[in-house]
Amino acid sequence: MDTKELYHTASLARLELDEKEAEKLSREVSQMLEYFNHMLELDVSNLEPTTHALMKNNRLRRDVVAEQTVDPDEMLENAPDLEDRFVLIPNVL
Amino acid sequence: MSNKYETFIGLEIHIHLEANTKMFCGCKAQYGDEPNTNICPVCMGYPGVLPMVNEKAMELGYKVARALNCKLSKNTFFERKNYFYPDMPKNYQISQFEEPVGVDGWMDFDTPEGTKKIRIHDVHLEEDAGKMIHAGDMSLCDYNRAGYPLLEIVTEPDIKTPEDTELFLRNFQRMVRYMGVSDGNMDEGSMKCDANISINLVGKGLGTKVELKNMNSPRFVRKGLSYEEERQADMLDQGKALTQETRLWNENRDQTEVMRTKEEAEDYRYFPEPDLPIFRPDQTFFDLVESGLVELPLTRKHRMMEEYKLSADQAEYIHDDLYLADYFEEAVKLGGDSVQLFAWLSSDVKKLLNRENLSLQDSPLTASWLTELLELISSEAISGKIAKKVLDFVFSDKKSPKTIVEEKGMSQVSDPAVLTAAVDKVMAANPDVVEAIKGGDNKQRGFLMGQLMKETGGKAAPVPLQKILAEKLG
Ligand SMILES: [Zn+2]
Repeated sequence: MDTKELYHTASLARLELDEKEAEKLSREVSQMLEYFNHMLELDVSNLEPTTHALMKNNRLRRDVVAEQTVDPDEMLENAPDLEDRFVLIPNVL
Repeated sequence: MSNKYETFIGLEIHIHLEANTKMFCGCKAQYGDEPNTNICPVCMGYPGVLPMVNEKAMELGYKVARALNCKLSKNTFFERKNYFYPDMPKNYQISQFEEPVGVDGWMDFDTPEGTKKIRIHDVHLEEDAGKMIHAGDMSLCDYNRAGYPLLEIVTEPDIKTPEDTELFLRNFQRMVRYMGVSDGNMDEGSMKCDANISINLVGKGLGTKVELKNMNSPRFVRKGLSYEEERQADMLDQGKALTQETRLWNENRDQTEVMRTKEEAEDYRYFPEPDLPIFRPDQTFFDLVESGLVELPLTRKHRMMEEYKLSADQAEYIHDDLYLADYFEEAVKLGGDSVQLFAWLSSDVKKLLNRENLSLQDSPLTASWLTELLELISSEAISGKIAKKVLDFVFSDKKSPKTIVEEKGMSQVSDPAVLTAAVDKVMAANPDVVEAIKGGDNKQRGFLMGQLMKETGGKAAPVPLQKILAEKLG
């Protein structure tokens, strides 16, 4: 994988890479992509993609309000900062 | 806009589905609660949680797709749409991409130039994001709306004018309201519409696409698109190239403004949501979808024109609101004359509702009472003028028109003996006027009629009264 593509991929995942890391990863990622290329050689045109190997049946939930098993207040305690009941973060607009 | 150019408009419409709970968890789907009260580990994106699809949302999604004439998926599934923004704690939105509930549909809508058809690209289920308020150097997040069941309807760029776009949206709103899948209110945020627009020289096909956001009514969608159509035509006239970008409608300045330019295509890296199995609807599910289909607004409008001899404008007015349409048809079944019903509903009843600040639904005037009022007029028990007074009393006293007419003695007097006595009395009291009329001064007849109405308290039936008077005057 060329470095430009690697930096793009990293930025999509919000990862910061320095030059040394980029050089190392570029080699490793290229190797991984080669493995995938082997798989791509197989003809799977008549197969339905296996997106979910273990879940064969429909699974829907009834539209009924569930009891709260975790207190929302407790979850809010994990927030970096609060104002009234809002989660407060640096402006992202 | 000059007819050198052709316009292509496509829409992405989001509707909040009428469900009790969120799309993938059992949290209450409800507006107006204290911030961050309807949240749980699933919609807050905690690790190790298991989302589950709301069966009601799935059913409504298929119903809308069916009503829009889509091909319905036999194996629909969800994908993760990856993006980083704090309105979604998971850093992805669960949506549909490869196999949405429906694809390749269409919808008809009425315009002054006749019925037009818009192709529907797809209908897919997803979850809404949380609500953010940006204040100063801080942003406030409320996740009550995060995970709210959403349905997105994507049209092909088939709409040709901003005016048609507004009409299409109003038709669409009516459809979801008729179906009971969403209240479709754009100003309250339960329906959102982003538009894309491009213009090009006639015959050249699609131009450079600009996306428009932030329009919270069908009217603003039209205004935003009109502004954009003009702006793009000016650019092309000046030989400038258009940029593919997203613009926001600024309703205070009546213009669109750049939000972001798309230098590189957004890369959402969709991949199948591993926690949600593929949904393969069985016959029972499809039967449920079929059984829930209702007569859609446009079909109903056309049927009303045919069945009740209403004009297009009259039917447009009546069918706009589901309650009004049902009310009207109930009144017709009870024997009301359709044209009279329309006349009363669109003028006197409407005026009273406005004055009292009531909806028809909340008013005391039921369909059977309105029919009763019309019967009182057609049987000449009361005049049209008195009927308006009776209507007032129906609203204030909450009693049936018949009861009001009886209790207040408002019925017309058509008994010949009573009328003859009144005529005799008035003629005796005004001998000089009678002489003048007999001498050919017909203008004075009006004066006598006025005196007679006074004498009978306005209740004399005018037709027999005039006849008796004419006979007496010779
Ligand atoms: Zn939840």
